[in-house]
Amino acid sequence: MVRINQEQLSFSLSSLKDVFSFFFSMGRKSKKLKIFFLISILPVVIALIIKLNQFFSDRTSIQGIYIFNNMSIAIYLQFLILILALFYGTSVCSEEVEGKTLTYLTTRPVSKSALLIGKYAAYTSLTIIITGIGVILSFLILNMDDLLNFSLYKILVRDVVVLSLGLMCYTAFFTFIGTIMRKSILFGLIFSFGWENVIQYFPGSTQRFAIVHYLKSLLPVPRTGRFSFLMFRLEPSSPAFSIFMIFLITGVFLGLACLLFSWKEYIFED
Amino acid sequence: MSAMIQTEHLSKWYGNVLGLSDVSLEIESGITGILGPNGAGKSTFLKLISGQIKPNIGTCRVRGEKIWNNTPLFSAIGFCPEQDAFYEELTGQQFMTGLLKLHHFSPSEAQTKAQKALEIVELMEERNRIIKSYSRGMRQRLKVAQAIAHDPEIIILDEPLNGLDPLGRRRIIRLVKSYKGEGRTIIVSSHVLPEIEAMTKRIILIHQGKIFAQGDIHYIRDLIDTHPHIVSIKCSDPRQLASLFIQEAFVLKVNFSSSQDTLLVETNNRDRLFSLLPALFEKHNIDVDEITSPDDNLQAVFDYLVGK
Repeated sequence: MVRINQEQLSFSLSSLKDVFSFFFSMGRKSKKLKIFFLISILPVVIALIIKLNQFFSDRTSIQGIYIFNNMSIAIYLQFLILILALFYGTSVCSEEVEGKTLTYLTTRPVSKSALLIGKYAAYTSLTIIITGIGVILSFLILNMDDLLNFSLYKILVRDVVVLSLGLMCYTAFFTFIGTIMRKSILFGLIFSFGWENVIQYFPGSTQRFAIVHYLKSLLPVPRTGRFSFLMFRLEPSSPAFSIFMIFLITGVFLGLACLLFSWKEYIFED
Repeated sequence: MSAMIQTEHLSKWYGNVLGLSDVSLEIESGITGILGPNGAGKSTFLKLISGQIKPNIGTCRVRGEKIWNNTPLFSAIGFCPEQDAFYEELTGQQFMTGLLKLHHFSPSEAQTKAQKALEIVELMEERNRIIKSYSRGMRQRLKVAQAIAHDPEIIILDEPLNGLDPLGRRRIIRLVKSYKGEGRTIIVSSHVLPEIEAMTKRIILIHQGKIFAQGDIHYIRDLIDTHPHIVSIKCSDPRQLASLFIQEAFVLKVNFSSSQDTLLVETNNRDRLFSLLPALFEKHNIDVDEITSPDDNLQAVFDYLVGK
């Protein structure tokens, strides 16, 4: 019978916490975060331009929440979180190998799985925070004339949760990719803007091979607009199944990444 | 006394490249120098005994336990890597504290230990500067600091004197020697014999992935001293100096450089030659610009010893 040793468990959790706080505080001050924060603020600028345009042209026929919903899908879900997850996820392992700093970590009394998961958690948290700031600001700007309508905040919460789940899942996937291959960014770009963008429109169950399918299943499908015909093939899964799949994919890829990271040798190039 | 580190038939290769071949040895507490030319397998050996890479063949035990993936054992080891790599955007203090927290020290303990180590390597004044702004010598000392900060029983230093100025070298050598007699195991690698000689008398010679010789520095010295040395002397009157040397029995051959301002002396007793030089210069009023020993590099010595 497998018995969980209480001391070992608390030691592992403490390792995870130590790794998380090390990379979270380092990541907070990094140039990389500043650059990606600026990128994640771009939709806020777009929202501001739209709102100013509405204000000065006196065209208020399109509701702010409608624009916000479209922005959530088109900019955040299908672009920004993929970019963030790609660059942060693949770097969990590769920046240590390419920067030759891995030695400082692998000579500490912390298991390699704890190193990987702790760093993954730190990076996922950072990306969730910068995405969340952008989403909340965009929401407030686009709905500034309807801020007392509290039912709209449910939509904001839902979108932030879906985007966070997306970051969690994609970052896990890209962490695995960064652990297994050297040219992970190239593969990641092909996956993000090739596979994920195409497969989600395939009919039947094929679209279930794309992570974005489960994320979109948690959001309402936009019905109007010129490009709505592109959505007609989306056959959403149930919310419960989608959440289950998102956690399953995250767990599987993180588990595989941990296994690989624990047993693979990383040789620095001179 | 049982050995702190034991290896049995330890072999490691990277694809087709041999890193280390059939190394069986025991390292006891005290300071041990690993000496070998560049690419000899020193770093591979140190990575194997610190559990960073796994052997293809053979075993490596530290304190009687296998080291590969034996995470708890890592708290007993401090490792200073050869490569000049850091988390550049952190300050020295943040770097040290962050790594110490991975040893499960509380924030206050980590702070105290980090400061103590930074004090030892004389980096206290620069502790709040970002690492990117550190000089090569400071970076080297910071690497040593992170290896000693958690007070490990085994300290492994891979080429710790690389890129250091004479003062920096003296600091590190003094630090390593200060650990002597504390019961710790210190392993230091270098490709420069005098560097190792300054720290310990116990050395292991590695060449082409194999242990070439192992023992007291005098034994290695004897091996090396049988090898004829060439000493190059750049001075004001190389011809007069040549005429003085030619009478000496320990001088095998004299020659001049193409620029004619440097005398090349081949000797089978380098120590005798060096002891004679100051008196000769003074007596004959010869000004010296430079004295070098081209043969003193380890590769030449190894080539000689292996009969190349």
